[in-house]
Amino acid sequence: MTTGLPLEGVRVADFTWVGAGPFLTKPLADHGADVIKIESRTRTDPIRSMAPFRDGRPGVDRSGYFANRNSSKRSICLDLKHPAGRRIALDLIVRSDVVANNFTPGTMKRLGLDYETVRAIRPDIIYLEMPMQGTEGPYRDFRGYGLTIAAAGGLLGLSGYRDRPPVGTGTNYPDHVPNPLHAAVAVLAALRNRRRTGRGEYIELAQLESTVNAIGPAIVAGAAGAHPERSGNDDPVAAPHGVYPCSGDDTWCAIGVFDDAQWHALVAVLNAPPWAALGDLAQALDRRERRRELDELIAAETKAWDADDLATALTSAGVPAAPVRDADGVLNHDPQLAAREHWVWLDHPVMGPSVYDGIPYRMSRTSGRLRAPAPLLGADSHDVCTRLLGMDDKTYSELAREGVVG
Amino acid sequence: MHEEDVERGPLDGVRVVDLTTSLGAYTGRLLSDLGADVVRVDLDGDRLPRPGVFTEAGKARVTAGRAGLEDLLGTAQILLTSEGPAALRARDLHPEDVVRRHLGLVHVSVSPYGLTGPYADRPASDLTLLAAGGLLALAGDPDREPVRPWGEQSTVIAGAHAAVAALLALLTLEATGRGQVVDLSAQEAVAHSLENAVQCLDLEGVLRNRAGSGPLEAGTGLFRCADGWIYLVGGLGGRPLAWSAITEWLLDNGITEAEALRDERWGERSWRRSPDAATEFRSMFERFAVHRTKDELYEDGQRRGISIAPVATPADLLANPQLTERGFFREVTVDGRDLVFPGPPYRFAGSRVGPRSTPDRSGTDEGITA
Repeated sequence: MTTGLPLEGVRVADFTWVGAGPFLTKPLADHGADVIKIESRTRTDPIRSMAPFRDGRPGVDRSGYFANRNSSKRSICLDLKHPAGRRIALDLIVRSDVVANNFTPGTMKRLGLDYETVRAIRPDIIYLEMPMQGTEGPYRDFRGYGLTIAAAGGLLGLSGYRDRPPVGTGTNYPDHVPNPLHAAVAVLAALRNRRRTGRGEYIELAQLESTVNAIGPAIVAGAAGAHPERSGNDDPVAAPHGVYPCSGDDTWCAIGVFDDAQWHALVAVLNAPPWAALGDLAQALDRRERRRELDELIAAETKAWDADDLATALTSAGVPAAPVRDADGVLNHDPQLAAREHWVWLDHPVMGPSVYDGIPYRMSRTSGRLRAPAPLLGADSHDVCTRLLGMDDKTYSELAREGVVG
Repeated sequence: MHEEDVERGPLDGVRVVDLTTSLGAYTGRLLSDLGADVVRVDLDGDRLPRPGVFTEAGKARVTAGRAGLEDLLGTAQILLTSEGPAALRARDLHPEDVVRRHLGLVHVSVSPYGLTGPYADRPASDLTLLAAGGLLALAGDPDREPVRPWGEQSTVIAGAHAAVAALLALLTLEATGRGQVVDLSAQEAVAHSLENAVQCLDLEGVLRNRAGSGPLEAGTGLFRCADGWIYLVGGLGGRPLAWSAITEWLLDNGITEAEALRDERWGERSWRRSPDAATEFRSMFERFAVHRTKDELYEDGQRRGISIAPVATPADLLANPQLTERGFFREVTVDGRDLVFPGPPYRFAGSRVGPRSTPDRSGTDEGITA
């Protein structure tokens, strides 16, 4: 049966876990690759034990944090420290096109699954590592998480109010944007190159280096002698530019005025308050000069508005604006995301119908889709060992009894 | 392996025509880094705002009329745009029409809200897209307005997803000869970056709100030091991390009251997550940290097995021993300016990958001068 998906026929031996790695293999799986997660029963992926859980009850097959980044994949459990477990892993790798891991440097070597070993049995393999700092260098063994990579990589320090300590994005941003997406770009480019040249590739994505690219313009500016710093919601050009309070509790509308036409449109939508007619606001530079004062004057007007009504009025008049949507807003109250059918509900065998992030793009011929909910821990061990690797049932049962597989 | 193979890059032979604004400009940059021939076209008489220099490295620049653009598209595999459907239609560049004219072309359309739906033609900016996609609501202090991250992150989010999509479509194109439209919504891309916020609501009925720089937990978060801040992870999810190492670190440096951190209540989730616990730890740790620099704390803490990171500035990063020893930074010339760039997000053992200077191609390629 053909899926018609772009990565049909591509197999990924997926040793990634926790945050960034699984969000790399997810788009591959959603676009047709056979992504087989190699997991451990004794040392389960920590994210399987991270909230939220279905009905708040913890369990390795109940986490929405895990499920969301593991759609369309299969899961097998192996004891990689057991020689037979390692042999099964190598057997799987021989039948794979891509091997991915985000362990600390040296882990795959200790498991006997390093690039040199793998290349000897599968010369055209595409092998991706995602160490925190890189596989060499003085800080190669330094440890961290998404938030500490955002700090060390410069994004945290630049993000926040001018008059307060940094706040960042409120998420483990490097795990959700730069690191998995850059890694997916690298793997796909290497796949393309292999199809043309027959050559595999070794790819090292140091999560620090990847994340620094998210503030690339600040590095270029800093090297040229500038000192980029936190600037809240200010924009280098636009003013007024910010997030303004609307009616209701903690309700906001984001607005940006980039030129004179947008300024006049904003004034008209706000019913031409007297202060807006003052001559010294006619020029963009003057508006920028007086932006703090303007923010207060505008806020006094927007407080009477419903955020959605204000955004509709402003965008209809040509002014960039949007209500600040929280999770409830994007999931339940956004006409555009609803019309685009962004959110996907999948019926998970333990969690029941539950929501997954959709793919943020449609392809007119070969669109991806979330083909299955996240796999239960080890759900595909038997199938992968017997059908894909050709193991007989008796051997499988013995290895399962010993805890090597299953 | 031949040196010329290394020089060519994994996307050798791919031509990309780039008509993006800042919203989609990072996509072409990533493809150029990987060896694609990316041509930024300034259409005659058109005044699209020019993206910043960071996304323009490696891109050739030509000015062309409509006929020249169509000729160029006939030689390209990928077209990148980043305006909404009405604006594209006004230029006769709506993706449906473009791929009908060029059957072997992938038109990657990055747009604020996608090509369909009631908001498709709404004017947008980085701030409004972060708001519409839900990321802005997660960032900021609870007593203040939501605040955006630095650097137009909606362009990074949309641009990187679009590069993934472009390569998926390129694989299909090279296998079948058939192009297609990729319709990417920046709002949806942002909504793909909310961590677990949507699942928290669905599974537990919990609505995540902005919570400053991190969760309230003793030993975790920002701490002041002599030259700025460090970020320490002394606990995750209510569980202590390297707690005894942190305690010993403080004791070794004369903070005698850190003896109290050995008390078993510091292992309890309810105490660790209380404001009193956070305050008590902070006063001890900052008394120690205020006399030390970010780098001292980083190196000393990490060698003790503690998850600690400096809150780095661009200047700190340019001097970072790990990045400099690995030769991360690159000198490139973009549009005549000599600049220092961060290296690429990844290294390929078998290919040269990364930001490149603006190619000099005057009179070298008739497809380009069309």
